Amino acid sequence: MSPVPGSARIEHVAQAVAERVVSLVMEAIDMDALLDRIDVDAVVNRVDVDRLIDRVDVEKIVERVDVKKIVERIDIDAVMEQTELGSIIARSTTGVASEVLDLVRAQAVGLDDFVARWVNRILRRRAEDLPLGPPALVRPPAPAPGPIPPAEDR
Amino acid sequence: MATTVAIKPVEGRQGQYAGAVTRLVAFAADVGASWGLFTLGAAALAFSVQLVTGHKFSLSDYQIPSLIVAVVWEFVYFTYQWSLSGKTIGMAVLGIRVVSSDGVSIGFRQAAQRTLTLPLSFLLLGLGFLGILTNRHRRALHDRLAGTAVVYSWDARAARLRWLAKQDAADPA
Repeated sequence: MSPVPGSARIEHVAQAVAERVVSLVMEAIDMDALLDRIDVDAVVNRVDVDRLIDRVDVEKIVERVDVKKIVERIDIDAVMEQTELGSIIARSTTGVASEVLDLVRAQAVGLDDFVARWVNRILRRRAEDLPLGPPALVRPPAPAPGPIPPAEDR
Repeated sequence: MATTVAIKPVEGRQGQYAGAVTRLVAFAADVGASWGLFTLGAAALAFSVQLVTGHKFSLSDYQIPSLIVAVVWEFVYFTYQWSLSGKTIGMAVLGIRVVSSDGVSIGFRQAAQRTLTLPLSFLLLGLGFLGILTNRHRRALHDRLAGTAVVYSWDARAARLRWLAKQDAADPA
């Protein structure tokens, strides 16, 4: 009960009047026109996002999230149906296969070099003197630079 | 589970003469692949004949015809693949291909010549293969007779870059 007699009734009337006034004002305002006049970009520019983020306690929010409840609500079957598992498996398998293939080829090339080095040593020939590949596929090595001419000849 | 295997840095070798080890491994893979496919075909044939006639059939009961079929199959296996892309299954796995001695792709004629002269390298106690080690162009006897050479078609440099890219993705720092 209010300490001043009759104040409760006055408060009630004031409340009713305020509600009615607000309602009338809201009806009178053209919200679309009002929103059109607002420069949203200017408002956004004035917002200090970093400060806003600093004020957010993420830990607290995460603590309040009931992950178990969220997981329970997920329809795993529907997710699995929509997931292209085949392509994921194929992609990962292709990656592993290409890695293994690269490894096998690299090892074989390494052994090729090892054998070629020994054969060249036995045959007493220099690897640099041997052609690298067929002329259409491998450019001939650049000729060795000749002696630098004396300064007066340049 | 991430499986990353270390690849030794090998320089780009595309177009260079392929070495003996790579060629040997590729050939072994081809022998396995061709015989595997032949065995599968023989089993499928035996099953089909048994299904249609109701009698038990096995290719091994007909030794000479099966030998002829095997020889024809080997000819088709190698010639078809070499004429088509210059590489067989084993060569594709090992990243090598057959080209003509000047580096141009080979056609059916050269592919057939290479297939027909390949047994010669064996018949000379394997001495025909010695050229892969000793010849300046790493050409075996059948390569010389068919006017072909074997080169690397695998881009080792690209493989190296792939591996480095994967390393970067795994450890961005």
